[in-house]
Amino acid sequence: MATKPKIAFFDFTSCEGCQLTVIDLLQTHLGLLDLVEIVQFREAMSEKDEDYQIAFVEGSCTRKGDEARLLQIREQASMVVALGACAHLGGINALKNRWAIENVQTYVYGKNGKDAYESYPARPISAVIKVDAVIPGCPIDRYEFLRVVQLILQGRKPRLPDYPLCVECKLKENACLNTLGKPCLGPITRAGCNAICPTYGDGCEGCRGWHPEANFTYMREILRGHGLSDAEIDARFTMFNHYQFQHMGDEAPITTPISPAKDEPLPTSTFAAPKEA
Amino acid sequence: MLHLHENLKTTTTPLRYDGHTSVFLPAVATIEDVKTETALEKIYTVRLPGGQNLGHVPGQFVMVSVPGVGEAPISVMSSPSRTGETFKLCIRKAGDLTGVIHLLQPGDQIGIRGPFGRGFPVDTFRGKDILVAAGGLGLAPARSLIDEVLDHRSQFGRLIILYGAKNPSEILFRDAIAEWEERDDVEFLMTVDRPDPTWFGHVGVITTLFPHVEVNPYKTVAVTVGPPVMYRFVTMELLGKGLTPEQIWLSFERRMKCGIGKCGHCQVNHRYSCQEGPSWTYAEALAFEEAL
Amino acid sequence: MSLYILPKERLPEFVRALQGNYRVVGPVKTEHGFAFDDISDPQQLQLDYTTTILPPKKYFLPQREVLFSYHTEQGDNGRQRIEMRPVYQGVEPTVIFGVHTCDMNGIMLYDKVFSEGFRDEHYMERREQIYVIGIECLHPCDEASFCKDMGTLTAPPVYDLHMTDAGDFYFVDTGTEKGERLLLDHVYVKMAEKEDIQKLGQILSSKWPRFRMRLKMSRDQTPALLTLGYQAKLWQELGERCLACGSCTNVCPTCFCFDVIDENDITLQNGERVRVWDSCQLYEFALVAGGHNFRESKASRVRHRLMRKGKYIKQVHGLIGCTGCGRCERACLVHITVPGTLNALHEEMQLEPGV
Repeated sequence: MATKPKIAFFDFTSCEGCQLTVIDLLQTHLGLLDLVEIVQFREAMSEKDEDYQIAFVEGSCTRKGDEARLLQIREQASMVVALGACAHLGGINALKNRWAIENVQTYVYGKNGKDAYESYPARPISAVIKVDAVIPGCPIDRYEFLRVVQLILQGRKPRLPDYPLCVECKLKENACLNTLGKPCLGPITRAGCNAICPTYGDGCEGCRGWHPEANFTYMREILRGHGLSDAEIDARFTMFNHYQFQHMGDEAPITTPISPAKDEPLPTSTFAAPKEA
Repeated sequence: MLHLHENLKTTTTPLRYDGHTSVFLPAVATIEDVKTETALEKIYTVRLPGGQNLGHVPGQFVMVSVPGVGEAPISVMSSPSRTGETFKLCIRKAGDLTGVIHLLQPGDQIGIRGPFGRGFPVDTFRGKDILVAAGGLGLAPARSLIDEVLDHRSQFGRLIILYGAKNPSEILFRDAIAEWEERDDVEFLMTVDRPDPTWFGHVGVITTLFPHVEVNPYKTVAVTVGPPVMYRFVTMELLGKGLTPEQIWLSFERRMKCGIGKCGHCQVNHRYSCQEGPSWTYAEALAFEEAL
Repeated sequence: MSLYILPKERLPEFVRALQGNYRVVGPVKTEHGFAFDDISDPQQLQLDYTTTILPPKKYFLPQREVLFSYHTEQGDNGRQRIEMRPVYQGVEPTVIFGVHTCDMNGIMLYDKVFSEGFRDEHYMERREQIYVIGIECLHPCDEASFCKDMGTLTAPPVYDLHMTDAGDFYFVDTGTEKGERLLLDHVYVKMAEKEDIQKLGQILSSKWPRFRMRLKMSRDQTPALLTLGYQAKLWQELGERCLACGSCTNVCPTCFCFDVIDENDITLQNGERVRVWDSCQLYEFALVAGGHNFRESKASRVRHRLMRKGKYIKQVHGLIGCTGCGRCERACLVHITVPGTLNALHEEMQLEPGV
């Protein structure tokens, strides 16, 4: 390769865990730096160059102010890759979309919250700019990141697996959590993480988004079989994918209202009640 | 009782490399020439190690590999009569692998396995009129048969070629077409679905050509190669002309991962396209529930 | 061939002796059931296990198998050069203990698939190094079993040794000469005598009533039933229920379909072409480059699986493609079962029972 493509990392509303995963990957796969040049990566380096071809964007768009920055990234980069569930799906940030935004601001930041902190319903970055590739997950799978980078460097179009997590789980000969009475969204969730959560005994929560043939009707039946109420099932379905269901409108396979209801009380946090901001 | 042409199964053995034996290991072939045919298709001239002959029959395919990207089945465009130390493949940029293949240049190496599949039973075609109905890229595998017939012209009856392209910019093999149009012993008709200002010929799908052709149903074999949507309609036309299902050959595209009848992807009902296909008679296809 | 007596207390000795020369695998207890795994301590071996999630097919056709390695580089002429070397993965002397009769039937089909037509050297090289030690099934694994219907309750001729639990000892039948050598070289056994053979006969004949029949038709009628039922409404119903998760095929001892993919190392110059298990139940299985999917609907894919099991595999390889092991039934979260499907088809076709 004559010149190494320049890549840059950006973050919006997120925990930055996906970028941390990239840093972690670089410790074992330094050879990646022979293939690409990292010119901007706030979490890992202080140098900053605005000349890049591939942009990896972590986090969802949750403020009007995010839009200009996203557009600027799109303008510069020939390829934009959504990094992780927040950027890909809106992720858990979009849970707040269920309530009126002023109520959320007041709830989180106190009674002056809506003046002090800008906020609007959370969206995946694809709602603002064109996205060329996606690396799903919360956090991303480091090997999938590597594969996607390799595919881009080969001039190929990265494609996500179109089948559910169960495929990977079965190949590892894991006992099926759903048959053991533990709710697991594996049957409707897109594969690619090598079924990491079920492998360690935790039910899948759908952080990679749904696979194209997700059968919500029968997934709900399975979860009802675990004694979950429809509201509890809705909560599981929407944990990472609230934005997707919101987008589906009346078609959403959800029994409880998904759009903002002004007067609906906010949930009581299990953590300490937020103090005045 | 159907005639399943069991005797026509090919016995070709896969190419070997370095004395090792693995049906999955491609031979290292070299691209000798690349010719841009249309915006989507390029023609590759490929040389096997030592210039050995591919030894195929018309209608067979090879598995083309770019290590690091993958492998896919590609029909052989050359006729056996025009295959010496090299053979030709016409490759459309349609996916991941073919996209990378389109970046390759003369001198680059690729992997080749095969030839695979049953191919057309050319021996049983001798003495008969040959009607080729090709749609789009289907003209490439059809070409292997057309050239074989042209190179043994006296052994066959009439050669009728019907070709349908989406639009004039996608017309393949313009040189060959010019030759077919010139020759007295080839009846060539062409149509495009969507004409542009440069086009003065037939307009319409390939079936609109059939009213312009007279065939003798007692001595004609028809070979149809094209996109899946084409088969049903072309077959209806051919049956309408009095051909029997045994006289109509169809070439089916299927996903293939091994070429050796194991991976399961190309199955049509219980039969493996990569072994017993990709060409079937319509009589055989009628016995499949999943064919058309 | 010959019948021997192996006292149970000598089984650990046999296993330990084998471990010197062979990889020894067999059913072991896991947190939630049993699985075939490597045996490091003979006490791990659970020959009275019920069933496993994956059949022993994973030793015959691994989930991920390297077919060849490649290296690409720019040659002197500036053009891409490639080198490829075949890899034969997992070729080592291996003894598999405790293979149920259903799974032996699966192995018999595998052997046909990979040796007939184009011989798959990768499979065959590995296969030749594997010793199959069967265990006679004296009780059904559970409610999902329907081995009696599928005629897989007796051991087919793929075993090197076949063991039958007789209380305080095992009968060991030798299926091959190399199996007999394996036994005699590694443990002291005595030949069975006339009264022993009578006892074996009693054990084998008394097991049959413990197994129930679940199909409304005989095994040999399934190809005809599936032919009649190709357009049945049932497939639509099953298609709606199906999760398209591929679990049924992944756990199936006769499913052998695979995908072939290239995996590159960090330099992008070296890598391996691997085959991985694939499933006809997944959306992309019959999708071609032009975008046409020959089995677009889940209904058509569910039907294809049942057609393969009950008809197509028989047409191609002469053996029915279902062993009645019940694994797909245990793995299916929406309760699509082979006996349930065939019986419902039988009903929809309004056939008299047994016809």
